[in-house]
Amino acid sequence: MDVQSRGMQGEARSREILLSCKGIVKSYNGPIVLDHVDFSVYRGEVHSLVGENGAGKSTLIKIITGATNRNEGDIIFDGKPIPLEFSRRDAQAAGIACIYQELSLIPGMTVAQNIFLGKEPLMRGVRIIDKKAMNRMAQDLIDRYQFPLKATTIIDDLSIAHRQLAEILKALSDKASLMIMDEPTSSLTRTEVEMLFKIIHMLRDQNISVLYVSHRMEEVYHLSDRVTVLRDGKLVDVLERDRISPAEIIRLMIGHKLEEKAVHHRLVPKNGPVVLEVRNITSLGKFEDISFDLHEGEILGIGGLVGAGRTELVRALYGIDPIDAGTVRYLGKPYVPSVQKAIASGIGFIPEERRRQGILPTQTIRTNIAITNLDVIAPRHVTSRKREQELAMDGIKVCNVKPADPLHLVGNLSGGNQQKVVLAKWLVRNLRLLFIDEPTVGIDIGAKEEIYEHIQRLAASGVSIILVSSDLPELTRLSDRVLVLRKGRIIKEFKDCVLTGEKILRAASGITEEVEDEA
Amino acid sequence: MSSHVKRRLVLGGLMLVIIIVLTLINPVFLTMGNIQKMLQEAAQTGIVAIGFTLVMITAGIDMSIGAIIAITSMVSINFLTYTKLPVFAFVPVTLLVGVFAGLFNGFFITRFKLPEFIVTLATKGILSGLALVIAVKDSMGFVQNVYIQNDSYLWFGSQTFGGIYRTTIAFLLLGIATQFFLKNTKTGNNIYATGANPGAARLTGIDTDRVVVGVYMFSGLTASISAIFISSRMMTAMPELGLGSEMDVIASVVIGGTSFSGGYGDIWGTMMGAVFLALIKNGILKLGISPWVQPIVIGGLIVVTVIIDVWQKKLGEAIRTRARLRKIGPTAKAA
Repeated sequence: MDVQSRGMQGEARSREILLSCKGIVKSYNGPIVLDHVDFSVYRGEVHSLVGENGAGKSTLIKIITGATNRNEGDIIFDGKPIPLEFSRRDAQAAGIACIYQELSLIPGMTVAQNIFLGKEPLMRGVRIIDKKAMNRMAQDLIDRYQFPLKATTIIDDLSIAHRQLAEILKALSDKASLMIMDEPTSSLTRTEVEMLFKIIHMLRDQNISVLYVSHRMEEVYHLSDRVTVLRDGKLVDVLERDRISPAEIIRLMIGHKLEEKAVHHRLVPKNGPVVLEVRNITSLGKFEDISFDLHEGEILGIGGLVGAGRTELVRALYGIDPIDAGTVRYLGKPYVPSVQKAIASGIGFIPEERRRQGILPTQTIRTNIAITNLDVIAPRHVTSRKREQELAMDGIKVCNVKPADPLHLVGNLSGGNQQKVVLAKWLVRNLRLLFIDEPTVGIDIGAKEEIYEHIQRLAASGVSIILVSSDLPELTRLSDRVLVLRKGRIIKEFKDCVLTGEKILRAASGITEEVEDEA
Repeated sequence: MSSHVKRRLVLGGLMLVIIIVLTLINPVFLTMGNIQKMLQEAAQTGIVAIGFTLVMITAGIDMSIGAIIAITSMVSINFLTYTKLPVFAFVPVTLLVGVFAGLFNGFFITRFKLPEFIVTLATKGILSGLALVIAVKDSMGFVQNVYIQNDSYLWFGSQTFGGIYRTTIAFLLLGIATQFFLKNTKTGNNIYATGANPGAARLTGIDTDRVVVGVYMFSGLTASISAIFISSRMMTAMPELGLGSEMDVIASVVIGGTSFSGGYGDIWGTMMGAVFLALIKNGILKLGISPWVQPIVIGGLIVVTVIIDVWQKKLGEAIRTRARLRKIGPTAKAA
């Protein structure tokens, strides 16, 4: 896209400040998530907020929309100061709307009913909804903004993209002056994304501000009038229109500080025998034509943006989701992934979202460790308490779980110790291959280091590991080789070279080598 | 929209087939008398099911309806036995019994955030016990079967022009009114919103707790209304009256297309479901099959309907994803 179609130049817009945040501080019982952040949005601009995972973007959004409250700092919206105690309803009333993916719509109701929920037009004198008037008013609103919608369509019959439009309409009817869109394109097709962009431009022309949060650099580049970059809870820079380029944004997001330390990592190839041989596997709509070899004792990192198909890939290889095409060979033999077979033949899986997929929070450490190892504990279908206890003590010792009490409920452990229990479940087995998805989300640094050590020790003992992570220092530090996925395909392989987080992020964002050389 | 119209058509067609088959086997089936009786039976269950539908649209469940029928009829019997109050004076009071029971349910569900099932089950226990306590006893302390002789009370369960039961008429009127209320008032919209997406509903300013309390009160009211008609029609009442009727009521609502997970459904569906159920029950009798088979068939019907509903939803989703895949496919390759 050329510069002309990238919207109006900053100078042409008014510079009236709609939202101004000064010195915002937020901490969730201890660690500081936002450290004196200044942030402002002009009236009628598209403003992007970018940063790595954990940079504080979502916390800032939550504070602005009233989903959580700040500890310190001043916010002025539309000329009025926003109090410290500020709810989502207050935010809506003030004119701040957040466009979720279908989250705030009522299924089963029509577009018109959703737009007018809570403010339905009534017939004269009676408390009966004037449906005709309601549908007409909704259709007028739709026509005014030329949305491809019908007032009488039921929400359930709309695609996700069209549901978003219905949400935008609802916000417009509430006279919102700031619309926040958090990763709005993550499940849209290309044509749907174009439609959304057209509407964002239209909103801007109506003098409505759009606060856009996305990992996708090309979208940020095409849409934004200004970009605010956060890193580690601090404001890094605010880029004006003429300074916005994907390479520059990534440079600011990663920062130089980190580059000197962990992010710098030399990849050394491991050439042991091939454990897993993946050829041209495809899962419709998730990933396509993926091929790679995994060697003994190798840690293969998988990088990419959220939604690039990383989690889907490991889930399919572990046998949770089906593979539509392609072949897999495990230890030299043809292999059709299934969970039961995987467990029986030394393959383990540590899923993302440990609370939902990894642990049974209401059960003890012992039970949690036992549950994946019933084949060992109960070879004849009756569990042996003694074996269970031995295994649990083993796991606790190996992974240094605290407290070292097998009868402690896992739900009461800290995040780091919960993850150690998940790790322990697999470490007490004879593993050949382990899939790990986002192992250190929400874990403090000390526990992180311990988990890294376990992973490395595991690899040193000959276990092959596939590691999915959005944490770039983690990925560069642990991996022997890195594959970067983009839109379901392998876009880049890093091996036998010096790897930085920036390189991964550039590849994941689809920035080609030419641009890289230019920068 | 189209899917539930289709569902209605299928249900209607099925009813037609059943009617034809039953008539061919036993011509008594299609006599005026039998039809009146069947509709009256559908109405007794259906009136309760109307209130229950609202509860289920908010994603709740009311296990206390049977006990509310029992306690309401016992209160009526007490008035009839021990007072000389005219019917128009005490019937409103008996109806309040159901409303209060609903208020009790709603209060504990919303205030203490307790599961609907547990609260209403407890209410069921309390009320069915109370029904026994207040039942009219003889000198030995045994529950006495009181025969109702008050003509104005018997009016409710009797027939009117063309042999139509007044219960049937009440069912029809209540159904129409409730359907209109659900679809054309703010409160109606709020009921759907509360069931489909309570978080979003609260964000739009809907007081979902008030909605929940309201629907349980309404459910109690409809159970009490039904109790008056049933006891009047039977010309007597036992403290066990209505116990176990939850099953028929739930079957009617579910067959009528109201979703257990809330947000979907309406009164037309429930009314059809109630008639369908009465048809099946009557058919079983007319075929000379033991009436003990009835609950087995009804239980089976509930399972089958829920299976169909779940399948339908999954099938619809699968079709939608496949359509999306077709759209995504080429773009992903181009990228």
